[in-house]
Amino acid sequence: MIVRIALLLVFTAFALFFSVDLLLWLAIPGLPNLLTQLGLVTLMIAFGILLSAGLFIIIKLTLATFFNYVSTKERLERRLLFINVKQEQLKQLFYFKTIQVNYFSELKRKRLLQANNKQHLKSLSKVINKDLQSLKKHLPKSQYLQLHQVYRQSLKQQNIEALLKLQTEITTLN
Amino acid sequence: MTRLKNWTFALVKLFHSIKDENLQWQEKNQEQENKLKHNRVLASKALEADLKKRSVQLEHDINLLRTKNETELTLFKTKCQQDIKDYKQYLTALDKLKRSIQSSYTHLPEAVAFTIHHHAKHLLNQMWEAKDFEQKMLHEMQLINFMTTVHEEARRYLEGTSNTSLPEKTLHLIQRKQINSE
Repeated sequence: MIVRIALLLVFTAFALFFSVDLLLWLAIPGLPNLLTQLGLVTLMIAFGILLSAGLFIIIKLTLATFFNYVSTKERLERRLLFINVKQEQLKQLFYFKTIQVNYFSELKRKRLLQANNKQHLKSLSKVINKDLQSLKKHLPKSQYLQLHQVYRQSLKQQNIEALLKLQTEITTLN
Repeated sequence: MTRLKNWTFALVKLFHSIKDENLQWQEKNQEQENKLKHNRVLASKALEADLKKRSVQLEHDINLLRTKNETELTLFKTKCQQDIKDYKQYLTALDKLKRSIQSSYTHLPEAVAFTIHHHAKHLLNQMWEAKDFEQKMLHEMQLINFMTTVHEEARRYLEGTSNTSLPEKTLHLIQRKQINSE
């Protein structure tokens, strides 16, 4: 309705401007000046109304949105959404905590295994070294050096299988 | 001037007639309008009550979930700790097994004792790393069987009831396992 009034006023203002042109063409003095001012005032009023209507609508929409945002329904819906998200977060947190616990447990087990392997590797290398030393005089130098090299290499790589194989080989040489 | 007056009166008259019509329409439909408003308020209240109820229910659920998660996590931690303890005990038992072989078969080359121990540890790790429960049980049975065989043979050798000077059954088990894995 307000827009219609504003448009009507705009058209009236244009009609007045047109009539001013007509009066000027007819060379009627005095009246065109008055009509121009009247047209200008009408046009200003029309734009004023349009501007006010726009502002009014914006304020109304803003207030409506604000009141809708703080309404009980919206508040409860937001709360529900928050709880749902929290529930998902809890599930994810549980999953990742389980993975973490499992990871640290596995790490601990591997450390235990490594410590145990190291201990046996040490004892095995001691035996091999002792056997090699006792064989040193009975074996050709090249063979001894080759066995010793295999021993050093396997020990460096912490390869228990290779050390066991070497120990078996040394036992057969004995 | 009179024409302008007439136009104004006509305009005012039109305005009044519109107003009258509007009033009549409002009077006619007031009851329906009130009913509609009432229904809208009722629906809004019902929705609010429903949302509140769901919110309370969800909060209750979340508390339950939190408690359940905490309990399950504590249980899982305890299980992991127990697993580590068991693994440690297994490793100690295997060390004991090696010492038992070494003390029983004094003439036995060190390599054999180490091989037996290494194989037992391999079985233990296979059992521990198995994802499937059935596989785990199978490997556990293999390990227990292997350990029992070693102890049994060592005991029989010490008692002098064994015919051989080597833990042959144990070595046979290792050989069979190696062939199977190949």
